[in-house]
Amino acid sequence: MATSVALPGSQARDPFANVARFLPGVLLLGVIGFAGKVLEQSINGYAKAHHLVIPNIEYVLWAIAIGLLIANTVTIPQIFLPGIATYEFWLKAGIVLLGARFVVGDVLKLGGISIALVALEISGSLILMTLLGRLFNLKPKLTSLLAVGSAVCGVSAIIAAKGAIDADDEDSSFAIAAILALGAIALVTFPLIGHALHMSDNAYGLWSGLAVDNTAEATAAGALYSDVAGKVAVLAKTTRNATIGFVVLGYAIYWAGRGQAEKVKNKGAFLWNKFPKFVLGFLVISLLVSVHVFNKEQVGALANLSRWAFLLTFAGVGLRTNFREMSKQGVRPFIVGALGEILIAGLTLGLVVGANSIWKL
Amino acid sequence: MSEENKIATEATRLGLSLDVWAVITAFLLALLVRVGVLKHVPW
Repeated sequence: MATSVALPGSQARDPFANVARFLPGVLLLGVIGFAGKVLEQSINGYAKAHHLVIPNIEYVLWAIAIGLLIANTVTIPQIFLPGIATYEFWLKAGIVLLGARFVVGDVLKLGGISIALVALEISGSLILMTLLGRLFNLKPKLTSLLAVGSAVCGVSAIIAAKGAIDADDEDSSFAIAAILALGAIALVTFPLIGHALHMSDNAYGLWSGLAVDNTAEATAAGALYSDVAGKVAVLAKTTRNATIGFVVLGYAIYWAGRGQAEKVKNKGAFLWNKFPKFVLGFLVISLLVSVHVFNKEQVGALANLSRWAFLLTFAGVGLRTNFREMSKQGVRPFIVGALGEILIAGLTLGLVVGANSIWKL
Repeated sequence: MSEENKIATEATRLGLSLDVWAVITAFLLALLVRVGVLKHVPW
């Protein structure tokens, strides 16, 4: 691992030196993502030319698979690590730009349904994970981290909660490893289940956004099903992300009450600090598109910029998923996480099916 | 500390979180599209 990473133009006196630190890894993300796109197009082109009927494997899956293959077969040279770690930055920039593909009406309709389902999903997930953690005798703070990670937004929520409840590094590593491993499994299982149940794009996207914990994996799981499902998954996941401050604040108050974490002095500042600002960026772009600040061609350009940003993200998802590293974290948190995730996936599937019968998603 | 955490920490040291940097970047790109510097983005 690198010793430190600075954003371009921030720390080093020579801005070119900083750019140079990120460039190899970002280029690697781009090469892998683009290779995935080329593979998808080549295979489809070959199948069409030879009148073969083969299932379309999206660039998303190719990019993740190539990344996974590299990460789990060779040691990635140090020079690539800072750039690879920027995948989350591209994810967030991509989500903001994705706002161009939603007019405010869509956001209000699907976002409104999402808010109702998210409230139920969060309550159910917190209760389930807490019960499972107690059942398997996990440390209470590890249980809290797993509960926050599975209820809200995966790794970001765990990192936010770790500071707020003074959890150990070891506990947060356990929780992060479990959430990432389960996210990788969801990438394979969710599209299969969605197709088996003949779910509509909107219903499947909503389910992915509600049930898959980490934002990058939720976006990928949606995009693996269809472009529309990917879009809806991001909206549902973004709604979940917006609640991070409230859930973490609740846990911070709980642990402070037990004398095992610092008291939160300014709750308003705490909430704003934890609030994911890219959600606001997404809404601003969506609003600008809705009031026709951008013409049709420009909206298309913004949507494509978002796709390029996600392409880098998907390559990063594969590259940072190292099963050898994850297996070192032990099996118990993983079992608790897996059981919890299966139950949460079932719960959210039920919620989406119920919502579908009411609102015809 | 993971590489992702290091980037987030460095971003915060500049007074802005990684989220905000991502929003700024996306807005700048949107501005470039709006003023016509980025006319066509292929996919």
